[in-house]
Amino acid sequence: MIEPFSPEFWKVLAPETVLLLGLIAVFVIPNLGNTTFRIPLTKIQVPWFLGGRRFRLTGAAHLPGLIGCATLLGSLLLLVIGQFDGSFKVETIGTGELVLFRIDEFARLFEMIFLSAVFLASMASLDRVPATIYEETDELEEMYNNRRQADLYILMLTVAVGMCMVALAQDLFVLFVGLELASLATYVLVAFHKETKAGAEAGVKYFITGSVASGIGLYGLSLLYLEFGSLQLNDLAAGWSESGVLAIIALGLVLVGFGFKVSAAPFHFAAPDAYAGANSPVAGVLATASKAMGIIGLIRVLVVVALPNTEGSAVWVYTLAALSVITMTWGNIAALGSKNPKRMLAYSSVAHAGYMMAALTAVGAWRWGHISAPANYANVVIAAVLFHLVVLVAFKLGAFLVLGLLEMEGGASRLSALSGLGRRDPLIAACMFIFMLALAGVPPLAGFMSKFLVVAGIVSTGVGDITTSRGDLLIGDLHWVWWLALALFINSAISVFYYLRIGVVMFLEPPEEGRRKPLPYGVSIRMTIWFCVCATIFLGVSGDFLIDMCHKAAESLNLV
Amino acid sequence: MSSNSVIDLKGKEFLLIGGLTVSVALLAAFFPDLGSNGEGAVDWISIPLVGFPIITAGIMLAFASQENRSRRKMLSSPVRLATFVFSLIPLAISTALFFDWLIAVNWDLSYNEYALESQYAWIDSIGVSWHVGMDGLSFPMVWLTTFLVPVTILTTWDEKDGATYHPLLLMMGGALIGVFVSLDLFLFYVFWELTLIPMFFLILKWGGKDRRYASQKFFIYTFCASVIMLLGLITLYFMIPEGSGEGYGTITGRTFDMKAILSYAAAENLGDGVFLGMGMQQVLFWMLMLGFLVKLPAVPFHTWLPDAHVQAPTGGSMLLAGVMLKMGAYGMLRLPVALFPDALIEFQDWVMIIGLVSLVWGSVVCLGQTNLKRMVAYSSVSHMGVILLGIASMQPLGYDAALFMMFAHGIISPMLFAVCGSFKHHYHSMEIGSMRGMAKFSPYLAVYMMFGWMASLGLPLLAGFVAELMIMIAYWPVYGWWILLPGFVLAVTAAYYLWSMQRTIFEGGDEGQPPESMLGETPPDISLHENIGMFILAVFTVIFGIFPFIALGMMGDWSTAFFEGVFKLGGI
Repeated sequence: MIEPFSPEFWKVLAPETVLLLGLIAVFVIPNLGNTTFRIPLTKIQVPWFLGGRRFRLTGAAHLPGLIGCATLLGSLLLLVIGQFDGSFKVETIGTGELVLFRIDEFARLFEMIFLSAVFLASMASLDRVPATIYEETDELEEMYNNRRQADLYILMLTVAVGMCMVALAQDLFVLFVGLELASLATYVLVAFHKETKAGAEAGVKYFITGSVASGIGLYGLSLLYLEFGSLQLNDLAAGWSESGVLAIIALGLVLVGFGFKVSAAPFHFAAPDAYAGANSPVAGVLATASKAMGIIGLIRVLVVVALPNTEGSAVWVYTLAALSVITMTWGNIAALGSKNPKRMLAYSSVAHAGYMMAALTAVGAWRWGHISAPANYANVVIAAVLFHLVVLVAFKLGAFLVLGLLEMEGGASRLSALSGLGRRDPLIAACMFIFMLALAGVPPLAGFMSKFLVVAGIVSTGVGDITTSRGDLLIGDLHWVWWLALALFINSAISVFYYLRIGVVMFLEPPEEGRRKPLPYGVSIRMTIWFCVCATIFLGVSGDFLIDMCHKAAESLNLV
Repeated sequence: MSSNSVIDLKGKEFLLIGGLTVSVALLAAFFPDLGSNGEGAVDWISIPLVGFPIITAGIMLAFASQENRSRRKMLSSPVRLATFVFSLIPLAISTALFFDWLIAVNWDLSYNEYALESQYAWIDSIGVSWHVGMDGLSFPMVWLTTFLVPVTILTTWDEKDGATYHPLLLMMGGALIGVFVSLDLFLFYVFWELTLIPMFFLILKWGGKDRRYASQKFFIYTFCASVIMLLGLITLYFMIPEGSGEGYGTITGRTFDMKAILSYAAAENLGDGVFLGMGMQQVLFWMLMLGFLVKLPAVPFHTWLPDAHVQAPTGGSMLLAGVMLKMGAYGMLRLPVALFPDALIEFQDWVMIIGLVSLVWGSVVCLGQTNLKRMVAYSSVSHMGVILLGIASMQPLGYDAALFMMFAHGIISPMLFAVCGSFKHHYHSMEIGSMRGMAKFSPYLAVYMMFGWMASLGLPLLAGFVAELMIMIAYWPVYGWWILLPGFVLAVTAAYYLWSMQRTIFEGGDEGQPPESMLGETPPDISLHENIGMFILAVFTVIFGIFPFIALGMMGDWSTAFFEGVFKLGGI
């Protein structure tokens, strides 16, 4: 156990420390100027540096972005190096009985997801928010825009810090604080383009529904505290089998809070509006990192704490199964009818949340005892969910970034904005098509691999080891979670309709009036799109190392 | 190009770097010891037959994706030539392998034994390996694919936007070969779905008026069936007991290796019990069959085919009818029939009925068609029904005949579609009866049409006849006088072919009657490229009609071995 704020603490939390330092740097550096401070009653002017006329270097509008990206990249590199140089070991941080953070493969993997998503979105934003080169100008709009550079990256880094906290937390209260830190920053990010109607509307909607959901979740936490006298995950897990009705009610309330974050039906209504109103990289972060944050909550609460071992405590398995099927079906059917590509991606992300919830149901059913499955199988299912979350960063975020590129020339809120892209910019159109195929789950892309693993995980629990116990099998001998796999596949077949439609629009229809020229340039956003495409293909064809990593992360939860 | 940045990385350079990185990563990931398999023998399949067409086509597509129209046009001729040359390389290799089979005797053709097998570790954690090999079932199909791709490119030499069209055909060929050679369920599924993407683009970009509808219908229809099949495969995967060693997963302990699964199933089936038990076997049998029946296509699931064919460009149709439909029959023999023979025995009549309905429905609908290409598409449905009859007969001869039917139809149907394509190309119409006396305007086209139609209706000495005759012989001992029905239907086939021929080639008096779509101009005859392409197809139709044993030898060996290896009773 490492005491907080001891030297060892800063060492094991190096990536997070880097994030904090970067955050302070983004606060301070753009404010450095030639101001001086006169010592009272004297004429001595002491240089004070904060404020006044900015120096040429520190006043550069692109500086906050560069600092932000460098911080995220540095933190990400520290994480990856720490994970692979062989020196990694599990550490817990806390005082006395109280465990605050636990650094294990699970937390580290999620931190990688968060940081890479936020990093890619920040990289892509470098070209997107209008910034002018430092000039001594009095034009208000330019000054505002330059100012907003710093705001954007402060918020991005705050999101990253909050999410990392969620990943590490071993106490539900710490987890909640991290969740709120990240959420508050995302509310502001969604409303970042507050001048536009859609942006303001999205921000307000997302904030109100989000804070209501958080409030309900917090109420659930307080009930849990009432029941157990502690919010430590270990204590909750140990006491769960003897808990009463109050715990089940509390669990339901907590699920509302996390269900909003993963945008599960029926808590998903704000998501399409938020995604459509936010600028695309931010929407990409919402659909990947923010969703992963909700999944951490679900895994911590459902799988670590409330894994059923008696008939009574298994209520949530049925609930989650029903919710997952409703979520995926609702998401897909709503996406079929949406004419706005961003709303369509939002609904598709609702559907993906349903797929992951189906997998978590399988974990619940595995321990419940009605099936006999090898102990390892729960880890296989969780590994599949983690794999899905990792690769989602590549293709979901990539799809949003392509829309972001379109936004640079004015709006991507209609399907027709994409039309003729195959002629205007064949490479970007090809990238978008690859992202769509990956979302639909077409091999050999990463999206297929992840859907395949999720289904394989569900089927593994559904089949269990019945083949070894009896020779003559019937379809009824399979556990009912097997049908969730069928539902998942039927849904992914439905989803092909709207993913293909994007391809058809891009390659078949002529470009809109006034949008015939090649797309705006934007080096950094194009680089990020290319990176996402390469990752989508690479993780699809040789994702072996990632599967191993996810499996190790799942093992570090110590479920078995 | 509106570029105000320092380095203009947009476009080609970017793509080349990306493409090269991806392909190098692929190569490095798949083939740590490039070019040789476990025993140190040369791996003729992975790179030369599968990887090479796909990767070169990808690189050429990248080159050809130019925003600039004139540059695109400039590129089309060299890209077309390069594609053609590249497509000849797999053909040369597969032909050499065929002669190797004729001369050398080291091909083990017993059941579940494969020639030129190579296995590389791929996704170890869940038991997926890159495992390829060929046997008597897959080799004819592989040769057919390598043969059809250059012929298709030659026949559709003048297609517009050639710089992207021809590489797509090449890529399609690589993916199709991948389906036939893969010996790992995961790999099989990857290639199975990969074939959809080039075909989707071929229909979407070069198709007819309703191409939008047809391409989406094609993709969604087959995708839906495939995911059900995939669920069956995954369920099967978890029912094979755990093991260890090459091809077994380090996390799950199971394997996707087709050879291991097939030999386990065969051992169970030939022993006292039934592999997985009857109930589960039936469910899995139909889950897998669904994927293959839609691809074949058999009658209740055939509606995507006429739409796709009518809208598809000529080259797409040729590969679609020539090879892609056979993926269904191939998969059926490779998986459900081999894994679940008891379910097939149980449902023998059902499979026969589906085949018969396809046969009857396909030909009767043909009679009513006014669109030439639609008619040919429906005739494909009825011929695929014949293959199902061969499978349902459950006799070595029936399987042998089904294989030969796949092969013969793979040579004849591309010719039919080439004829339809030239018709569309030169006459701007495909309505039967909108013009008369084609023999006067386009004697070559008329000859090829007549030849193709005759081959397809089963004229003796042409390849189609052999297959149909063999299937009828195999059908007789099982279903007796029911043979009258398919026999009658084959007469119907002759009727619609002859009737359509009479209405287009002959009538019209001495002057003939060009269609209205020609606007009074005299229609030209086919171009040299089309002529050469169709000539090659015609020559091979005759060769395999007179000397069927060239291919039948290998197929016969395989069917006998398959029969002994799979069925307990050794015949019904």
